[in-house]
Amino acid sequence: MTRLTKLRESQFAGAAVVALVASAIWQVSSGLSFVIPSPAATAEAFVQNFADPRYLSDIGETAQAVAQAFVIGTVLGGAIGLLLGLSAAARTWLEPLLIAFNGVPKIVLYPVLLPIFSLGGSKIVMGVLFALFPVLINVAVGVRTIPPVYWKLGRTVQASKWQLFVHILLPAIRLPLLTGVRLAISLAVVGVVLSEFFATRFGLGRVVLQAYSHGEYAQMVSTILLLILVAFTMSVLLWRLERRVR
Amino acid sequence: MAVRIEPRQEVPAKHLTRPRRARWRPSQGVRSAAASAVLLAVLFVLVQIGVATGALRQTGLPVPTDVVGSTLGLLGTGAFWSDFGRTCLEIGASIAAGCALGFGAGIVFWKLPLLGRVFEPYLVSFYAVPLVLFYPMMIVLVGINAGSIIILSSVMAAIPLALNTRTGLQGIRPVHLKLARTLQCNARQTLFSIAIPAAAPMIVAGMRMAVVYALIGSIAMEFTTAQNGLGYRIRYLYETFDNKTMFAYILVVLILSVVLTVLMALVERVLLRGRR
Repeated sequence: MTRLTKLRESQFAGAAVVALVASAIWQVSSGLSFVIPSPAATAEAFVQNFADPRYLSDIGETAQAVAQAFVIGTVLGGAIGLLLGLSAAARTWLEPLLIAFNGVPKIVLYPVLLPIFSLGGSKIVMGVLFALFPVLINVAVGVRTIPPVYWKLGRTVQASKWQLFVHILLPAIRLPLLTGVRLAISLAVVGVVLSEFFATRFGLGRVVLQAYSHGEYAQMVSTILLLILVAFTMSVLLWRLERRVR
Repeated sequence: MAVRIEPRQEVPAKHLTRPRRARWRPSQGVRSAAASAVLLAVLFVLVQIGVATGALRQTGLPVPTDVVGSTLGLLGTGAFWSDFGRTCLEIGASIAAGCALGFGAGIVFWKLPLLGRVFEPYLVSFYAVPLVLFYPMMIVLVGINAGSIIILSSVMAAIPLALNTRTGLQGIRPVHLKLARTLQCNARQTLFSIAIPAAAPMIVAGMRMAVVYALIGSIAMEFTTAQNGLGYRIRYLYETFDNKTMFAYILVVLILSVVLTVLMALVERVLLRGRR
């Protein structure tokens, strides 16, 4: 296989071409309309933001909330998913409610959360609500579709509950679990930032809305791009890991 | 790759030893529905007691029976129907556009594997919704109106469907395509009579996700900023401290999403009838 055909078949090269084409379209359209900041102006705002201590503390605030929401959401989702996968009674009682709640636009509950968890806590709770479901559904389905022969093997070798969990259950559901975790990261970002759009004192969501209302579009676009880039990089890395594990 | 709820595998042993006249036992679905109704009723009563006795005063929750009352009161007002109509228009338009776009893209990505592989990383990562964050950019470009919400929601709905359509079509058993060649089907017949029905379970699962994404996207964007719509109204009522009406609107959104979920479950059952 020659170098050139290899390059043509490389997914990375193709994806990079798509990104380049998108930037070119952006450059052209920024010349047509004054509300679209040019890529250069956006990049400049992007770099300058990192010299601003207030912006850095906003980043820290959002990152902290996202990290907490992600960890709590994954653990909680994994636990409920296990319960649903292992217990038929839990399925009977909880499954319809959970499926229904999964389809609810959770952001409308934000005003309900505010008086209970206050400003700082509500956005974490919202992130948890967003991040919870992909893990929960994937773990529950994964556990339920474990071939029965695995459990028989566990009984044959007289594995303890803990050994069953670590050596049989976890390896068997590793793929759906990874998929759930990958979705949970991006959704935790969305949950936290959407809450910051609504009401908060610090955080990148507030920066975006403030830049929007002041008409500082380069600042707004650069902050959105920062958020998208972080979520994009994380999920592409996890996705590649997922394919390697398979 | 995609979240997909598998139909439960029945244990065959039960059917083998079924007595001629078994004691009547409600099906799993009926028992589940009854159990959730009981849970909801218990929750309702608990909150009712909690609010009435003042134990939940700090949470700012209104009395549940009041919320039901003011929700029924809403149904008689024109303002409510204008918000409701706008939200339904957005959701309906983005479901239609998103399904057409996602389905088409999925087929194109399957037919042209190179294109599919190139776009795959973008689809996979944008599928987890950071797209809502583009909304402020969209309102700068298109304006604060239903158009910008519909465009973004359609894209959000299209992505899971495109991914699932492609995955489903790739997973067709080769013997099905061989059959098409044996019968000398033309390209259109192969696609519509063999490939799409073979991939139907994945495609329908993708459609269910598309509907959920269109709903969540539309309401979340209205909630951020809009001039009209259920999501916008909830935010507006929160900011004007009209707690009672706000809870009524929240209840309406909850009911709307449950209705959509149930409808999609029915659609899935009809479209996949006769399998298994």
